[in-house]
Amino acid sequence: MNSGIDLQGTFVQSLSDFGISTELAKILWMPFPMLLMLIGATVGVLVNVWLERKISAAVQQRIGPEFAGPLGVLQPVADGLKLVFKEDILPAKADPFLFTMGPILVVMPVFLSYLIVPFGQNLVITNINTGIFLWIALSSIVPIGLLMAGYASNNKYSLIGGLRAAAQSISYEIPLALSVLAIVLMSNSLSTIDIVEQQSGYGILSWNVWRQPIGFVIFWISALAECERLPFDLPEAEEELVAGYQTEYSGMKFALFYVGSYVNLVLSALMVAILYLGGWSSPIPIELLSNLAGVDPTSSWLQVVGASLGIAMTILKAYFLVFLAILTRWTVPRVRIDQLLNLGWKFLLPIALANLLITAALKLAFPTAFGG
Amino acid sequence: MLKFLKQVVDYTKETANAAKYIGQGLAVTFDHMQRRPVTVQYPYEKLIPSERFRGRIHFEFDKCISCEVCVRVCPINLPVVDYEFDKASKKKKLNSYSIDFGVCIFCGNCVEYCPTNCLSMTEEYELATFDRHELNYDSVALGRLPTKVTDDPMVTALRTLAYLPKGVMEPHDLPAGSQRANSNK
Amino acid sequence: MQIAEGVQLVTFAILSILLVGAALGVVLFANIVYSAFLLGGVFISMAGIYILLNADFVSAAQILVYVGAVNVLILFAIMLVNKREDFKPLKNGWIRQGSTAVVCGGLFALLSAVSIVTPWSISTVSPLASSVVPIAKHFFTDFLLPFELASILLLMSMVGAIILARRDFLPDNLGATSTQDSLTLPERPRELAGK
Repeated sequence: MNSGIDLQGTFVQSLSDFGISTELAKILWMPFPMLLMLIGATVGVLVNVWLERKISAAVQQRIGPEFAGPLGVLQPVADGLKLVFKEDILPAKADPFLFTMGPILVVMPVFLSYLIVPFGQNLVITNINTGIFLWIALSSIVPIGLLMAGYASNNKYSLIGGLRAAAQSISYEIPLALSVLAIVLMSNSLSTIDIVEQQSGYGILSWNVWRQPIGFVIFWISALAECERLPFDLPEAEEELVAGYQTEYSGMKFALFYVGSYVNLVLSALMVAILYLGGWSSPIPIELLSNLAGVDPTSSWLQVVGASLGIAMTILKAYFLVFLAILTRWTVPRVRIDQLLNLGWKFLLPIALANLLITAALKLAFPTAFGG
Repeated sequence: MLKFLKQVVDYTKETANAAKYIGQGLAVTFDHMQRRPVTVQYPYEKLIPSERFRGRIHFEFDKCISCEVCVRVCPINLPVVDYEFDKASKKKKLNSYSIDFGVCIFCGNCVEYCPTNCLSMTEEYELATFDRHELNYDSVALGRLPTKVTDDPMVTALRTLAYLPKGVMEPHDLPAGSQRANSNK
Repeated sequence: MQIAEGVQLVTFAILSILLVGAALGVVLFANIVYSAFLLGGVFISMAGIYILLNADFVSAAQILVYVGAVNVLILFAIMLVNKREDFKPLKNGWIRQGSTAVVCGGLFALLSAVSIVTPWSISTVSPLASSVVPIAKHFFTDFLLPFELASILLLMSMVGAIILARRDFLPDNLGATSTQDSLTLPERPRELAGK
């Protein structure tokens, strides 16, 4: 599994064969993965919106979007186009600069976090050492944007929504980081690639979810809270706060919030897939299959198949988790703000700490099973 | 120490219970996902109103004897009965009659008390207009024959739950000719 | 290495301009909310400069701790206590501002002169591939005492915050009977602290 497809290497190699310097070739390569990721994330949002509407409809025994395209797949595109052409309203006495900066600050870190999402051995934009830590750090910028939007809107609901959002993401970041830390402890690295590599040994049996069941649950709950998904969507609780920090927004600025929240959901699902469900590795290791079929593991077509399978696996796992989030949305009612903070500080935080300590102890006791 | 341990055990039990209930809830929602949608796609499909449906009021001009009972029993005295006394025949002669459906609450008292049965309820319920004054129906508008959902070729008429055969929960895809409960149509 | 160096230089220039501009904004803006938001900008530009210095872990920690926690808490405090108050312009305010500017400018000149004159010894050691492990080793060997002291300090402040937050105020109808001159709310005597 160490080789895999190295598109960048091939690209740089072929360009330097044309007499272009290696550095320039590397710079020329850089926009491709970034653009691909940007497009991928945006398309992911469209798919997500469609899934959300269709699954929500199915859960409530409705039909959902039906007339825009086959099965209504073009509905999110139509929604997006509508938002693009909508009037951009600036409320009276609002702060125009902060009002514009708010949604930008919310969206940027989320898209930046896609830098570290791996879809295969070499299918990642940057394999940096801080990997997963960068994601946690970047996601901590988001509350500033929310506060900014809430403050600049000159609306009491917006301000309360912004404050709630910030309080919520600060308090749930800690259990999130602690459960990630337990994983990092087991894989001896912060890099997402290493974390996936470490659980790719025995297919589905070596996934982290078996070794970290508590961490998995804590991570998923905290991730839902970070994304402001329904059991924890207090910042936009429409019965109390109209729409929270989004109340005064319309048109493209609102679309940024909307896109940001869905990208964040997909990102969190991808992170769960990477940290706990073995990332791009398939439930039955592909090496095993190729050995059984007697195929040369270094043959190029097998590598192409493996890479496509890896991408498909990652996305499949992520969308399974998205499905779970949507199902949760229609199952669990919204919690109150004090219940939310109690759950975060009095339940998840101590359990995450205990989980971390137990993981450390198990690692010392059974170094082979828990990453020596 | 024992008390503390009991607390810990209780807390753990509560947590496990909460997790169990959430799991059961998820199972319920998941089960609902596989059921057929109950959606009636309105402009293309319409439910057949029941016989006692209180829709737009129908009025027959010639039957009316201008007794004004409808006005008396109306909670807000809504019907406007314009008549004059014809000395030759010693009878009231009706000039015009109108009901404003923007104000009517469709209680059906007028229909109930009308001595000559010149008022009746129809199954028409699509009364939306762009101007509320258009809802003020005069005797001509009130005398129009009501449209029926089952007669409209553009519309798939669906039965409501009470009129479905026994055991059938769902009005789509019924055998042809079973649109009305008591008719062969 | 021409391109890489050029990119580094340009990035450094952009980051420094951002950093200095944001820092000046923090000091000069009359609106305290702007200052707080710009403080976040200062922290983020500093994280960028850390990345330029090959300290990726430190920069991520900078964002997490300073932007994600400290700055958000500052904003929280400002927004929860945001009292609209019209400040009267001081009569000879420009004297104060001018003297402050002179002092700050002098300090800046002094420091920049020092940093230009000093013959800095530039490290020739190639940057570490991963800075996480050395940092951890330092934390648990020669920097253990300061590390633990900092954590105890944080614990103390946390306990203090909890004690401040959990004060039990007497309800209004009870407090009305006692005549109090000060503006503070009547506080219920705490059992733990009293005995």
